[in-house]
Amino acid sequence: MAMVPLKYTMRNLSVRWPTTLLTVLVSAIVVACSCVLFGLVDGLMYSQAVSGDPLTLLVMRKGADNETSSNFSIQTAQDLATLKGIARGPELRADQDRQGFPAIQNQPLIAGELLNIPVMARSDGSRVNLTIRGVVPASPFLRPNFVIEEGRYINPGTRECMIPRSLVGRFPGTRLGQQFRVSDKEVYNVVGIFSAGSSVAESEVWTGREDLAANTNNDRSVSTVRIRAEDNTALESLTDSITGDTRFGLLPKRENVYYQSQNTTAVFLTVIGTVIAVLLTIGALFAAANTMFAAVKSRTREIGTMRALGFSRTAILLSFLLEAVVITAIGGALGALISLLFSNWSFGISDFSSFSERMIQLRFGALPLAVALGMTLAMGIFGGLFPAIRAVRLDVVKALREL
Amino acid sequence: MKFLGYILRNARRNPVRSLLTIASISVCGFLAMILLSLFSTNNEVRATLVPYNRVITMSAQGFTQPVPIALAREIPAIDDRSGIHAIVHRESDDKPLVSPFSWYGGKFRGESATFFAQFGIDPDTLFDIYPELTIAPDQLKAFKERPDGTVIGRKLAEDKKLQVGDAFELKGEIYPFDMNLTVVGIFDGPEKRDLRTCYFNWNFLNEGLKRDFQGQGANNAGTVLMRCKSDPLVARLCVAVDEDTKSSDRATKTQTEDAFVSQFSEMIKDLQTYINMVGLAVAFSLLVICGVAMAMSMRERTSEVAVLRAIGFQKGQILFMVLAEAVLIAGIGGFIGTFGTMFLFKFWDISPYTMGFFPFFYIPTAVAVTGFLVSVVVGLLSGLVPALRAASLPVIDGLRKVV
Repeated sequence: MAMVPLKYTMRNLSVRWPTTLLTVLVSAIVVACSCVLFGLVDGLMYSQAVSGDPLTLLVMRKGADNETSSNFSIQTAQDLATLKGIARGPELRADQDRQGFPAIQNQPLIAGELLNIPVMARSDGSRVNLTIRGVVPASPFLRPNFVIEEGRYINPGTRECMIPRSLVGRFPGTRLGQQFRVSDKEVYNVVGIFSAGSSVAESEVWTGREDLAANTNNDRSVSTVRIRAEDNTALESLTDSITGDTRFGLLPKRENVYYQSQNTTAVFLTVIGTVIAVLLTIGALFAAANTMFAAVKSRTREIGTMRALGFSRTAILLSFLLEAVVITAIGGALGALISLLFSNWSFGISDFSSFSERMIQLRFGALPLAVALGMTLAMGIFGGLFPAIRAVRLDVVKALREL
Repeated sequence: MKFLGYILRNARRNPVRSLLTIASISVCGFLAMILLSLFSTNNEVRATLVPYNRVITMSAQGFTQPVPIALAREIPAIDDRSGIHAIVHRESDDKPLVSPFSWYGGKFRGESATFFAQFGIDPDTLFDIYPELTIAPDQLKAFKERPDGTVIGRKLAEDKKLQVGDAFELKGEIYPFDMNLTVVGIFDGPEKRDLRTCYFNWNFLNEGLKRDFQGQGANNAGTVLMRCKSDPLVARLCVAVDEDTKSSDRATKTQTEDAFVSQFSEMIKDLQTYINMVGLAVAFSLLVICGVAMAMSMRERTSEVAVLRAIGFQKGQILFMVLAEAVLIAGIGGFIGTFGTMFLFKFWDISPYTMGFFPFFYIPTAVAVTGFLVSVVVGLLSGLVPALRAASLPVIDGLRKVV
């Protein structure tokens, strides 16, 4: 079967370039809008995924379904440290040593941390709950790729705090050297800016546990305990001994399993994103159809000629479909590029489990790309189909006679 | 006006194109209405809360931390002691209109996820604090008398097909205590209130926690809700309460119900920014879509316009006719997209499908009117270029041109 040459399709696009260009523009905008939101969902899911270490146990009070609602006595947390099978801390790297990281070489990697989630005003005055985490020496070693980017690590007990890169400037007093003020009684000196491999820790202000305990009159309890197991067998035996001891009343979860369960926000954003993507696709599809109907109409005589020359209906149908897909594909690619402009956008979204500020770095991985591709194909194929069908149903003789 | 017939005919000349353009605008309008209403609804509801002068005291540590029940007694004492006398007292027995307001967050009858709100409150004062909620006097009496009674909103009763006398089992998530309640009343209220809420006696939960769980989680009020007399007094009461608790280990944040509710949309401020951006992008896309459609129509009519000019029509008249056609098409699409969507959600209650994020959903009239006006402006702007081109084309060229 003879196909209509590709050159013919391409030439047509350039002949009617103003309408082609505008249709490309519409599909680009539509794809960009959706890509940004799915980039956010992707960033959120990535952040959840890197936060959960399969060898780390997150120990919470039985019945608590997230870190925020958990708390138990500090004594219990200390008892957990005597269990067997806990991994040991690594040797400090030279840069870590210089930045004042706590030395925990050969100490058990276990961190009983305290959470406080005050309502804070952002720099623009809007309010949100912000997580402040009271940490212990093992804490940074239980996070993926914890790095001090500026300044140094905190000295516990001296009312110092570290701010994650994404929160710098978002709240008053969050720059290096400034004072971060939670309340009149609770003021911290910002001594360091950190990052933690895009994990959940990048949404939290870190201070020493004893500092937070003193400031919140809560020196008898911890919120959660993180334990790094030596290996899988050790992890299972740790789980059994913690679950088995009814005095504890604690429930250990694998950290990766815990973060997978905290998906309310991701589901919410996915639903909004899907509604936006589907409706925008339909809207843009009608526009693409309009452009293609006009293309078919203005080329009636050409179509008649091609049919008379012996091109089959299928070949002509495919040629018009291809033309539509090329238009939307250029638009889709452009839209994906536009959305990349937002890749440095740190997006704050409230976590619906803890009701606290959660910073997400947009991420353009497989998900937004799949969305862009799907939208592009849908717009091109459904937008081009009916005009193409009209083209092949033309009566050859009448078409040739058309002016 | 005498050209109306001609304009209408022109709009109908290429029915497929006009319908596709209208459909495109309608779909985009539908999307814009949903997105913009997510936040506008919240603002409208907040405005209706203001006249009731209700005040909520929560923990300064955020929603996840409860305030002790003692505060429900202390707040009226603070109010009296400081001489503010802001809280309304009931005429019949001089009881201050104060109630604990405690989020239970349980699961209903074996559901894997329950999406309606459940609050432990004081049955004696609740309906005085919420005068806009209505309940039959005998049902209210039963609620006050029966410790395990619960009253539920009309829509919740409809969703779950519940009647007075039915069992109502809630399984605790935050609290270890599971509650077997009985529906003793069904309340109704204005459209802009959550009629998918369940209220139960706070004492029933507290006694259960004390009796069966050694008081774990007991004696906390969640938040404290009260009704006040007037605005200036409210501000003074808020300050007085927070000052009083400031130096204790249970600092509070006291604010109007309106300010309390607004926290939830402030938390997801970045999402609001994104949605506004999508709104702008949609409006711009529509401008392009309508513009392209109109330009295509005018190109097909080049010689006709020249004839009109030749027989004596003025440039201004041509301009007017083209613009009127563009506004007509965009306006029809906009009307369907905005008022049609508003009408749709008046009769189609989508709240049961929103996972509890929106206990009621509607399109505020102001949003629909704004959307419609935007569509008219889009029509006007999009017609401008094609209209100017048509009006300024030299008559001779137009007559000669073969399209």
